[in-house]
Amino acid sequence: MKRLLLFLAAFIALPVWALDVVATTSSMGMLARTVGGPQVSVTELAPPDRDAHMLQARPSMLRALRDAQLVVAVGAELEIGWLPAAIKGAANSAILPGRPGYFEAAAQVPLLDAGQAADRAQGDVHPAGNPHVSLDPLRMATIASALAERLAQLDPASAAAYRERAKHFAAAVEAKLPAWKRQAAGSGGAVLYHKDGIYLLHALGIPLHGTLEPVPGLAPTAAHLETLAGKLKDKGRKKGVIVHTPYQPPAGAEKLTSLTGWPIAVLPIDPPSGANADDYFALIDRWVAALSK
Amino acid sequence: MCISSLADVHNVTKLKSSTAGRAETTDAAFPAPPTRTPHSLQALSTLRKPANFKENFMQSRALLSRLPLIAALMLIGQPAIADDDLKALRAEIAQLKQAYEQRIAALEKRLKDAESTPAPVAAAAPAGKVSAGSDFNPQISLTLDGVYFRDNKKGGSVEMYEHIDGINHSHEHEGHDHGGLERGFNLRETELAFSATVSPHFDATAMMTVSSEGDVELEEAYFDTRSLPYGLKVRGGKFLSGIGYLNAQHPHQWDFVDQNLPYRTLLGDHGLLDTGLRLSWLPKTGNWYTQIGFELLQGKEQTFATSGEDTPTERADGNPLAATAAGELSSAKAGPRLTTLFMKFGPDLGNDHALQFGGWYARSNQHQEVHDHTGENPAALVHALEGKGKVWGLDAVYKYDAGGYGGKGDFKLIGEYLRLNKDLKIAFHENGALVGQKRDFTQDGIVLQGTYGFLPHWQAGVRYDATGLTKNDIHGPAGKIRDYGKSDRWTFALTRQIDHFSLLRLQASRADLWVEGEKEKVNQIFLQYQHSLGAHGAHSF
Repeated sequence: MKRLLLFLAAFIALPVWALDVVATTSSMGMLARTVGGPQVSVTELAPPDRDAHMLQARPSMLRALRDAQLVVAVGAELEIGWLPAAIKGAANSAILPGRPGYFEAAAQVPLLDAGQAADRAQGDVHPAGNPHVSLDPLRMATIASALAERLAQLDPASAAAYRERAKHFAAAVEAKLPAWKRQAAGSGGAVLYHKDGIYLLHALGIPLHGTLEPVPGLAPTAAHLETLAGKLKDKGRKKGVIVHTPYQPPAGAEKLTSLTGWPIAVLPIDPPSGANADDYFALIDRWVAALSK
Repeated sequence: MCISSLADVHNVTKLKSSTAGRAETTDAAFPAPPTRTPHSLQALSTLRKPANFKENFMQSRALLSRLPLIAALMLIGQPAIADDDLKALRAEIAQLKQAYEQRIAALEKRLKDAESTPAPVAAAAPAGKVSAGSDFNPQISLTLDGVYFRDNKKGGSVEMYEHIDGINHSHEHEGHDHGGLERGFNLRETELAFSATVSPHFDATAMMTVSSEGDVELEEAYFDTRSLPYGLKVRGGKFLSGIGYLNAQHPHQWDFVDQNLPYRTLLGDHGLLDTGLRLSWLPKTGNWYTQIGFELLQGKEQTFATSGEDTPTERADGNPLAATAAGELSSAKAGPRLTTLFMKFGPDLGNDHALQFGGWYARSNQHQEVHDHTGENPAALVHALEGKGKVWGLDAVYKYDAGGYGGKGDFKLIGEYLRLNKDLKIAFHENGALVGQKRDFTQDGIVLQGTYGFLPHWQAGVRYDATGLTKNDIHGPAGKIRDYGKSDRWTFALTRQIDHFSLLRLQASRADLWVEGEKEKVNQIFLQYQHSLGAHGAHSF
């Protein structure tokens, strides 16, 4: 009987995983799984098929955050419209910003477009910097190592394993980078719908020729597209690609194609839900292939 | 990041009062920037973040420009300073100056290098600023709201809405309302909201409205706890109660221009807004979201919780009270006189669907009303009632997120039912024989509303609301004394979200209202604009 009780106690006392992690996007979910391995259980809040900036808080988010020991957010105000409200409503002090249970990817790396004027006349700007860091594999490697440190802080018992996995991820990025750069070397540059792909362009040295949005958050206008096409013509840009995500309307890109003849690529900025590192690299592969056309 | 001038002042004061060694004064003039660790020169050489160069550079600059000041300050209050000391001091300052000049030159060079080549990603993560809040502290937001208004009653519909027949009709509200409209252009209340984290333990929010006449109302001013365990939270101050779904929403969150009929007639224009404490709890219930809340509120000037009314001593028409008058109102009970209990449940239905339903109950242990209609009707008798009030309600919200651009295909459905009961006795009456008689008031109401994003940034909304839906009557000891009718309304709204921060809304409504026992067909048209300035506030579900 005693032995049975001991066995049961051991069974109950052994958690399947150490940490309950909530990631805001599938990219962050990928990172948490890659670094956390079997020690973490990851819930993703924003599905990759829609704009994480425009999401609304849902009761199920509060539910997930209520039990979380760590939140892995993109940050730089990407989730500003819903995450603060969801965290506030979750009544979980462990994951409040400023506590070890709150991790922001964008705070771990230098940001592009940082320090813009906080002027809404320029559209829905993020003075903290452009939040879409997840498409830059190099920055993601840095974020992975910072995340490993944070996981180690929360779960010292597995610290070495976290660091090891982050190193492994960084090494995988390093190994793939030369091929990506080679492939991208001949790129004529890109026009994006919104500045959500700029980190990858920046990392691979691909020029950005403009955005379909006149200012962030405003739909493309005919006048703006004509001006943009005119600029491209003046600069003698014969080759390039127009990129938008599945949730951004295609009309603007189609209009610019009719003016420039550039091909359109529809690419997600996040890997599928529940992605692992290979799915993430496959997403980068897709982007690089499309940009190099 | 420069050292703020306030810190400067603070340090200067510190210097003035400092009689200790010079090392300390130098430290005081060079405070560590908050939330960042000061980097030694060695650490700097491994740092690769332009922001940090700039910062260190600026700091050094700031310090350098202040060296003469420091020297001067060190001399203040030490008139008997020896020449040797002065020399030593000068030498030390010169040394300091040199060290900093070198350091600045090095930093400038690094800054140049960093700016000329794209920053390689550092191996060590820089301690970046978490932007979960925002740069605004406190977060301040301002909402502008204006309407163009027309109706089919030469502007009289506003008054009719104020006097819909029902059990609270004679309960005159003090204070402002959300609808003092006239035909044509109206500036509605401007909302001003401040919120910030007070400390690791508290958040605080204040929200005020300013009317076009300049009347300022403190709508809400409350603190929230941050660090209680077990999913517990306490809110204290003046706040919108957590009952129902629409109660806690401010006008800028409404899908329609105006307040719905059941809230308006049963709880008042603002809904249930009172001063007190709330304890809410999020128990661990698997995949289900559950919230249970309990509030202790003062019970001040609510439709079913009002205390401290005076026993009438005269009639509104100027005549003395009848000789047969008898009885009196008791004095106000000590607060809190109003308690509420609410529950909300939400199953997890994945990314596309969200559902929440709730139930609530509110009860006051004292409610008093004085009725004096002698101004309009000299035959009326002045009387006052006293007793208890209670309200219960059910609410449900369903949201469909289509994942389309600009909210295209999104769908939202909200339904609420409320039922108010006042269980009173006649405490004072000009006809003294009636004192002690029971008066039981009951009225219910419903609101059903839906919105659909039929195009990106375009939303169509429909609302049906009614008050006195199944009951709107007063019972005495011998049965029904009064029966008011059901007033209901259909509303259609077209909303264009111009961008993230601005909207235009066209709304038309047709209502059948019972006013003074007459049925009125009331049509209203609104054209509304709203603009939100300041912090990019997050909205709860």
